[in-house]
Amino acid sequence: MSDENDLKEFERTTKRLFDDSVAEIDAATRSRLTQARHRALDEVKTQRADGWRWTLVPAGTLAATALVGWFIIVNPPPPPGLQSDSLSDLEILLAEEDLEMLDEEIDFYGWLEEQPEFTNADDGIG
Amino acid sequence: MREVEARAYRIAVMNIRDRDEALDVVQDAMIRLVRRYAARPSAEWRPLFYRILQNRIRDVQRRRIVRSRVLSFFGGTASEEEHDPIAEAPAARGDDPLEQVTAGDAMRALERALTELPVRQRQAFTLRNFEGLDVAQTAVAMSCTEGSVKTHYSRAVHRLREMLAEFGEELAHE
Repeated sequence: MSDENDLKEFERTTKRLFDDSVAEIDAATRSRLTQARHRALDEVKTQRADGWRWTLVPAGTLAATALVGWFIIVNPPPPPGLQSDSLSDLEILLAEEDLEMLDEEIDFYGWLEEQPEFTNADDGIG
Repeated sequence: MREVEARAYRIAVMNIRDRDEALDVVQDAMIRLVRRYAARPSAEWRPLFYRILQNRIRDVQRRRIVRSRVLSFFGGTASEEEHDPIAEAPAARGDDPLEQVTAGDAMRALERALTELPVRQRQAFTLRNFEGLDVAQTAVAMSCTEGSVKTHYSRAVHRLREMLAEFGEELAHE
């Protein structure tokens, strides 16, 4: 029990020694520590600013989409045959090739090509 | 953060023995804490901060060991290359008889004794005793189990008390 008390006393003493040594840190060092803390807090602000920058990307996309939608409503597409190239280009750009469908039907196209009515089509006309 | 930074700095100085580098390590630990764990509950910040700090201290110590070995391989010494805080650190107890006689600074004796402990024991003692983290928080800071913390801490306390036996009077009167 005495040994345990001695250990506790030892722990209290070492803790007090450390606390005292912290209290003795000079003002210049404390000032540098404060500056270091401020630099760390600046990181938080920068992070938050970066976060806002990222949220601006979808916001910008939304705004652009709304603008395009408004433009289409105000300027309805011309009748078929007179569609502007820009709208066609947009459609092409937005279109995705359905390669999976092509793959599924390639046997059919191969079979179709081998059919006599297709291979001899010119004979019937001429 | 304000409460912790001065204590963290003191711990860094004890381990690194270079004030400028200790400041850099503390600042870096604060920045890393903010970057990685700002969103975590504030109750977790302290042990997480000390985990980062301990890792950064280990990084510095590892770099020094590598540098020292590289330099010794090429036949040079660290002091030839640049300022070496380890070489400039006070000699270990026992190297200087005059210092033994005049050593009245119990904290310095404690610091030197700490440097002779295995790293994990030193970490456990620093975090539990100096910083007052509980066992669970220390386990987070040391990335180990609570059982390991208890073992390392107990061994550290017993070993330190043995090493500082001759400073017993001074420690008692501090």
